[in-house]
Amino acid sequence: MRVMVMALLTVLLSACSNPRQEVTVQLANQLLLPAHEQWHGSNGALRVSAEGFCADELDQAAVEQAFYRTLQSWSYLQPLMLGPLAEGNRSWQVQFWPDKRNLVAHQVEALLDSHSPLTREALEGASVVVQGLTAFEYVLFDKAVDLAGQRPRYCPLLIGIARHQQALSAEVLALWEGPEGMASRLGDFPNDRYASADEALGSILRTQITAVDVLKKKLGVPMGRLNKGVVQPWQAEAWRSRHSIGNLQSSLSGARAVWERVRSLVGDAGLVTRIDAAYENTGQKLAGLPAPLVEMVQDKASLPRLQALYESLDNLETLQQVELARDLGIQIGFNANDGD
Amino acid sequence: MLTRVAAGGLLLSSLWIAGCSDDTPAAPSAPYDEAQARQVVNHYGELALAAYSDALAEAQQLQVAIEALLAAPSNDTLSAAREAWRAARVPYMQTEVFRFGNRVVDEWEGQVNAWPLDEGLIDYVDDSYQAVMGNPGARANIIASESLTIGEEARDLSNLDGELLASLNELGGSEVNVATGYHAIEFLLWGQDLNGTDAGAGERPATDFATDASATGGHNERRRDYLRAVTDLLIQDLEFMVAQWQPDAENYRAELEADAVKNGLRKMLFGMGSLSLGELAGERMKVALAAHSPEDEHDCFSDNTHFSHFYNGKGIRNVYLGEYRRVNGETLSGPSLSDLVAANDAAVDSQLKQELAASEAALQGLVDNAANGLHFDQLIAPGNAAGAAVINGAIEALVVQTGGIEKAALVLDIQALNPDTADHQF
Repeated sequence: MRVMVMALLTVLLSACSNPRQEVTVQLANQLLLPAHEQWHGSNGALRVSAEGFCADELDQAAVEQAFYRTLQSWSYLQPLMLGPLAEGNRSWQVQFWPDKRNLVAHQVEALLDSHSPLTREALEGASVVVQGLTAFEYVLFDKAVDLAGQRPRYCPLLIGIARHQQALSAEVLALWEGPEGMASRLGDFPNDRYASADEALGSILRTQITAVDVLKKKLGVPMGRLNKGVVQPWQAEAWRSRHSIGNLQSSLSGARAVWERVRSLVGDAGLVTRIDAAYENTGQKLAGLPAPLVEMVQDKASLPRLQALYESLDNLETLQQVELARDLGIQIGFNANDGD
Repeated sequence: MLTRVAAGGLLLSSLWIAGCSDDTPAAPSAPYDEAQARQVVNHYGELALAAYSDALAEAQQLQVAIEALLAAPSNDTLSAAREAWRAARVPYMQTEVFRFGNRVVDEWEGQVNAWPLDEGLIDYVDDSYQAVMGNPGARANIIASESLTIGEEARDLSNLDGELLASLNELGGSEVNVATGYHAIEFLLWGQDLNGTDAGAGERPATDFATDASATGGHNERRRDYLRAVTDLLIQDLEFMVAQWQPDAENYRAELEADAVKNGLRKMLFGMGSLSLGELAGERMKVALAAHSPEDEHDCFSDNTHFSHFYNGKGIRNVYLGEYRRVNGETLSGPSLSDLVAANDAAVDSQLKQELAASEAALQGLVDNAANGLHFDQLIAPGNAAGAAVINGAIEALVVQTGGIEKAALVLDIQALNPDTADHQF
């Protein structure tokens, strides 16, 4: 029995050019690595804008633009966040969501009360809540913060966060590049992370499918889907900058970019058509939303549109998590949302 | 029966076929003996019955201790009630592995163990209290109020019974409005922990339950009524769940046993992995550690978190090994997932057993630190690198173990682990 199976395997291996390995290499080099580079670049621009603003060389609008760009590249990256950034608490340093108890306001103010001016050491020793984009957004957009009047208080934090983010993305990028880097782990098998291209591809897909599940959560939480339908506008991601929907769009684009490259591996042509349509449908519904999410959830007339969007995301998730996983023979393991 | 190598080879070959051909591979037969697997699922029901029965018995002991506290409030009777609460958590925390995957438990659980809570809903709180943004019930103080208006709805709170308290859970749609369950009782017995990430738990005085001249806190008759009602309700809830797991009855266990055996195995594995990764490693440890947030500690009033986490971990191990050590010291054991996995792939089974032992040792680290006076809320303090290392070690061990659970599932030919989405598939 054993000999027969092994012989069969050998025949299959030699008869097949292994399109899965080709797709995995393409994903790594043409999508995952460039997305990390783009994120790193946006962090550099964020730092330049914060330093320029605090030196009175740029206005606040310039920092806001740089912040939006960083949010966008970070959101795009989330469905592609395989390996280094997903490990330890690195991704938690980028953003703290959900923040139900408004820890960001409490912790930022407490930190700045106890360290004036804020030092690099104090920021590095503080919690992830104050080191990332959530705290940056609080300083830049929260009505309780008088940024114009209190630059000496808040500027060291803005610059400190931007530097922390740039150092973090540099560290992550270094772990992707080079002969021992993550990109090479997705091209040459077996290695210390993946025994085969199949395992690596499965891991990429799991990351992407989990990210679509998170999109449902990012929409469903403010809609009140976990709260008996009572809306929770302040639990929306990026509600202060009113950028929640932009984030969802960027993440959907990242997820779709994975799908575009995986499509050729799917045996069931009908399934390919349905997944294509699900991305198209979800993207159109998102693009058609007329106002920020934090406002829409508080407007009863808008709820049917949000509900339709949620159902569209749910359909996309099911198609990928159940049908695509089955078609490709990939196990969808546990993710951090299973405990909810 | 398939050998280990053949089973692995079949799985691998099916992946390759899917990768370079449109042919659908023939479905392999189940990699376990159906009758043996059915015994494993039945024994899982036995484990749940034993653990919930112990949880009920300990809750009844807690009720005795609470009655003694109310009859004669003193430091001694309050200490005894707190001790009984801690003891009641030992079996209960081992039942949480049954929660995920078994809808009857998950839908019931909110009334029994919901956390974190905005405790200002229940009783007086300190000025430093931080509630959830936009929670209309955050400072409702049920004990001090005969009525409550949220939005346009006015509620009569004059008669504090279990039904009323249960109806106040998730008041105004906020999940942190928790009026019932273990943590509501914990808050009533300990009060707020105002020490932040420094040493010390809640310090509610026994005189908060007194009705004579020594009384503190205010509204003490209502606080007494509340504690009595919420304890009664906990016992009723546990009685309901014990009944769901009795053999040979028309209940949830009968449904589970009548279902396809693969679905039973899937639920067992899903419960283990979900508790291990998303809930225990994630929600219960990583959030509190990364944010240095004692408000996100599981047993934040009593500082009993180390034991809660330890016994959560024990529950995961119990399900895999088919074992449960009862409160009376007897060990229940029988047909297990481990047996099924080992019959197909001894290496995967042995690896997962090692990982389960390693996570238990890592969680024991939390218990040992607490015994030395360093509780969970001190380990998460900013700048406590040694404390963070202890918790990160436990998180890492649980993450590794979850990978082992996934591998064990594959050995049993279970690719889709979530029973909710798997329903669409099989």
